[in-house]
Amino acid sequence: MAGRTIWKGHIHFGNTDVPVKLHSAVRENRIQFHLLHRRDRVKLQQQWICAYEKVPVPLAEQAKGFELEERRYILVDPAELEQTEPESSRMIEVRAFVKTAQIDPIFLERVYYLEPDAAVKGYNALVGALQEREVDGICTWTMRKRSYLGALQARGKILRLQTLRYADEVIPVKSLDLQQFSLSEKELKIGSDLINQLTVPFEPEKFANEHQQKLQNLIDKKARGEKIAILRPRRLQPTAPDKLLQALEASLKKVA
Amino acid sequence: MKNPRSQRGPSKPSSSPGEERAVHGIWSGTLSFSLVAIPVQLVKAVEPGRVSFHLLHNKDYSPLARRMFCPKEEVPVPPEEIIRGYEVGPDRYILITDAELESVSPERSRTIEIVDFIDLEEVDPIYFDHPYYLVPAKGGEKAYRLLVEVMRRTNKAGIAKFVLHEREYLVLVKSTEGALALITLHYSEEILPDADLAPQEGEIDAAEKSRIKQKITNMLADFDPGQYADARRQKIIDLLKKKAREEGEVEAPAVSEEEGEGPADLIAALEESMRQVKKHR
Repeated sequence: MAGRTIWKGHIHFGNTDVPVKLHSAVRENRIQFHLLHRRDRVKLQQQWICAYEKVPVPLAEQAKGFELEERRYILVDPAELEQTEPESSRMIEVRAFVKTAQIDPIFLERVYYLEPDAAVKGYNALVGALQEREVDGICTWTMRKRSYLGALQARGKILRLQTLRYADEVIPVKSLDLQQFSLSEKELKIGSDLINQLTVPFEPEKFANEHQQKLQNLIDKKARGEKIAILRPRRLQPTAPDKLLQALEASLKKVA
Repeated sequence: MKNPRSQRGPSKPSSSPGEERAVHGIWSGTLSFSLVAIPVQLVKAVEPGRVSFHLLHNKDYSPLARRMFCPKEEVPVPPEEIIRGYEVGPDRYILITDAELESVSPERSRTIEIVDFIDLEEVDPIYFDHPYYLVPAKGGEKAYRLLVEVMRRTNKAGIAKFVLHEREYLVLVKSTEGALALITLHYSEEILPDADLAPQEGEIDAAEKSRIKQKITNMLADFDPGQYADARRQKIIDLLKKKAREEGEVEAPAVSEEEGEGPADLIAALEESMRQVKKHR
């Protein structure tokens, strides 16, 4: 079962108007730990602490400020901030269509399934058209006082809406200051051959989250008071730059 | 819905005691495929893009910091005094140390071993969770560059599992703009079925579909996310400029001995701050 309806809207472009209900598409189920104070085993809380007085500050004594420079702020009233909130609307406006393959997954955020809310006819036609053209619709909408950018996709018989990060939320690669390195054609050729040899179909079902069970075993052992053997994490010896070609050739020989 | 992702994934500050020393690297270890091993660091790839406000104490305008706090002793607790506990009853916990957590999967705690390569276009985007970058550590630059270039040419991505604290992540490593991006994936068991949402009537109105296809052709464009800025951000910047002009600024007390710099032109400072904000994104 998909999750419950979390929001209703309608997809709009040109003369097309398709009412939909949003459902969450992913549910995580993981063992939860609490953070405790080591010496008294008391469950810790997150608190806002005043940097100057080192005391917790209750909500009533909190103010919001924009930092101009160190220690200098412009105070902003929550009511004033509220006025900058986008006006609420139910329209998911398609602004453009783009080839699905053009969207770098780094932009992808959260996925919702879209259930048809009325007229199934328009919904089905939209699913078919998106699939045949291999495109996503780039949409903007306002949900719960926040403006969203998203990609409208069709998969099987279902439409999905995946929120996208705004461009300035993605840290540009050039800020990583990566070094350029010249590689020989031979290294690139053998590297490509190796990767092609190691390529398999993508089957995510193959990867179970078996770690959860191991974690549960650890908890059970500790509950019984057993001693846990501490195993050192494996650290691999890095491949030296002048041994790269050799390592690639040996790898290729191993898999070929 | 506010910042749905910023509190999740390996960067989650509350679940990573002892990690504050390295602001830049979230994790360091080795990325490997076949017989090649590349020393790497995991770093942030995204930051929530709202104009960043600080919470201040309204008495002294000192900034507030989010700290773990012991309600019994009423003191902030430094990372080295924090331990994980699994709750077995009210106020009863089984304590688990970081070393014990690493021992669950020692082979995956410091190594991201690419076990398979796959064609990137086979991946249903629903699987993508949270992106990071990998950057090479000293000595790993050449092998890193090779993997970037070869995955770009072949349009392939690597699949690996690795463990960070209490979680094991299924991840995809791909080439992005000359760097390696590591994107955590959802496990397939976490993807909810969608069959119950599918329309009951299956038929497609052919005329409607071809009308939509025509419209798609008319509206076809290149993906250019920079074109869609959050309109609210500009409104907030305008508000801040107005407030700076009309009401001026407040000053927080110095916490360390360092002196603040001389007063600067407010609007210029504001614009510079915004430039800084943008530059780092």
